[in-house]
Amino acid sequence: MDRQRRAGLLFVLPAVVYFGGVFLVPLVESVIGSFYRTVPGGLSQFVGTRLYVKVLTDPTFWQAVGNTLSLLVMSVPVTVVVALAVALGLHRLRSLEARSAWAAMYFLPFSVSLVAAALVWQWIYDPVYGVLNHALAGLGVPPLKWLQSLDLVRPSLAAVNVWARLGFDTMIFLAALQAIPAEYYEAAAIDGASAWQALRRITLPLLNPQIVMVAILELIFNFKIFDTVYATTQGGPAGASQTVIMLLYDTAFKYFRLGDASVMAVFVFVSLLLVTLLQWRLFRRQVEY
Amino acid sequence: MRGVRTVAVTAVVAMALAAPSSWAQPKKLVFWTHWEQNPEFNKFYETRGKDFGQKTGYEVQVVTVPYQGYEAKYLAALMGKSGAPDIFMGMTHHWCGQYDFCDKMPADLARTWGENLPKYMLNVGKWKGTRYGIPIEHGNFQQMYIDAELFKKAGLDPDKPPKTLDDWLAAMKKLTVLDAKGEPTQVGFALRHKGHPVGITDKFLPFAHAFGARMLSPNLEKATGFANSAEMVAALQFYSDLVNKHKVASTAFPTPEDAFGQKRAATIFRESWFFGWVKKNAPDVAFKVYALPCGKTCPGAGNLFPWTNMVAKSSPHKQAAWDFMKFISNAKDDLDQHQAQGILPVWTANLDSAYVKSRPDYQSTQEMLRQPVPPEYYHPKSNELATAFGEAVVAALYGKGQPKPLLDEAAAKMDRILRD
Repeated sequence: MDRQRRAGLLFVLPAVVYFGGVFLVPLVESVIGSFYRTVPGGLSQFVGTRLYVKVLTDPTFWQAVGNTLSLLVMSVPVTVVVALAVALGLHRLRSLEARSAWAAMYFLPFSVSLVAAALVWQWIYDPVYGVLNHALAGLGVPPLKWLQSLDLVRPSLAAVNVWARLGFDTMIFLAALQAIPAEYYEAAAIDGASAWQALRRITLPLLNPQIVMVAILELIFNFKIFDTVYATTQGGPAGASQTVIMLLYDTAFKYFRLGDASVMAVFVFVSLLLVTLLQWRLFRRQVEY
Repeated sequence: MRGVRTVAVTAVVAMALAAPSSWAQPKKLVFWTHWEQNPEFNKFYETRGKDFGQKTGYEVQVVTVPYQGYEAKYLAALMGKSGAPDIFMGMTHHWCGQYDFCDKMPADLARTWGENLPKYMLNVGKWKGTRYGIPIEHGNFQQMYIDAELFKKAGLDPDKPPKTLDDWLAAMKKLTVLDAKGEPTQVGFALRHKGHPVGITDKFLPFAHAFGARMLSPNLEKATGFANSAEMVAALQFYSDLVNKHKVASTAFPTPEDAFGQKRAATIFRESWFFGWVKKNAPDVAFKVYALPCGKTCPGAGNLFPWTNMVAKSSPHKQAAWDFMKFISNAKDDLDQHQAQGILPVWTANLDSAYVKSRPDYQSTQEMLRQPVPPEYYHPKSNELATAFGEAVVAALYGKGQPKPLLDEAAAKMDRILRD
């Protein structure tokens, strides 16, 4: 091995060690653990694929998957579209100070602990004392049971997710927008392109890598959502907001079924991997002008 | 160069000699608890640990783990062994039954506790007949707290509480105030409807027991025929009717404790610690405590969370840990520790002490203890079983189905859990 190659390997070694220790080893442990059940007394027993059959035929598990997907569908497109809209708006601001101030305001929720944010939102959503119902009462809307309603709990949690993630996605889009050369827009203007045409033909194609990346990140974030749900509803009411990760947590640490929980972990990993690869393949296009 | 090395070696040796030897430092027994709401109770271990330290060289360090998610932390530590506590608080049937993390209690200490616990607590801390844990909370069963002012306003006598479920429901109707749209602004009963299904089961069980139902068979091996019995169906129908038909309880009030403290609910069923909570958080609520109302039978003094202190099997200081437990296993320490926090003491010798007699729940506690002991569900999978059952209860409260099919489904699921 030549010196340059060795140096390169040494540079990536810390990252490889970290990634291996924190991600790969637990992943391999989870895969192995999914073939063992814990019996009373704490011993493990090899059961082959029995736990896969058990978990994948359990209606509670599929209800949790359904809840997760429902939250994901409500959160991801809204977050991406709104973040893009905000970034476009910020990009049009001429004053750098104003742009920075607005960007910082949008980014602030991202820097707040999700548990703390969830608790604040719990108060906002409180059906009796919440500021949201108080404001709606001023408009003549009767009080709503945001987190205590089977129909409203997931949209309410999705709104919290959008609020929490908007700033981060906006920053990515804003940085990408600033990297698009102004000449493209000048050329388009000379050719008589409208603002809408410039957006469709220049901005969106050039933002494609960022849009794909943000969509994947949001997908992963929302699929793994735990903190906000755990702190606000604990999966209720009546299981209406129980997500896969919440069920996984309960299965592992409340019911002490580490094997079943490992099956769920493997399911989450494989699902995310497949969806990410699919998304990457379908939507990622190289655009050059 | 050689001179520099010699100086360095000398310096290291000198520093090593000058440093206090590790065996001269007090050794520590690490005690984990998740009773974050009871800091004075927890501090007692450290205070008495200092006295214990003077005799043995071992002091006690209390680590308070937040209740939310405590199981995950305990499990990780006890499995990892090296970061595990020497003594920890939890439920015996989980940590000693589902897992094998507990050391058996020495025979003489087990005898001491066997001779000094109230009868209904004798099984608390045991797994398969062997004692592992020390019960720490007497009065860990629900009683009826009433808001005396709201009772008076509704034309009810707060000194004559309802004794039967029928009378209780009639009183709840009088105590409920509806707005123009028919939604309650004040309810008779503060009902638990959110949070983990285990907690929802816990709060429903007194109603189930009052209807003569039980969640599992006496040998804890079967749910079908018990969790979905005719009595249980009737109990759940009664319970969900409180919200959906009579509207004497509401899902619009997020937490029952807050609703009671804010005078939006006239009654709540909670354990002995709740009187300290109301005093601290809602001092203007004039409350009284009574035994729970009876139905076909009386609900009795039962609980789903029998907390105990246990010694970790993997602890390198097991003997010292048990010695410390022996050191504080006496009537005086029991009274001092519980009184400091406003909890009922455990030892029978203290049940008629001046402190206990001065408490507002003294009479009601006596009355509850005279009732038949309700079913116990101290099974290693009690959390999972109570979750399956609680999902049916909460689904009925939210009108997701009728009690009978919901309980049939829950019973079948519970049987699968028991078989697995």
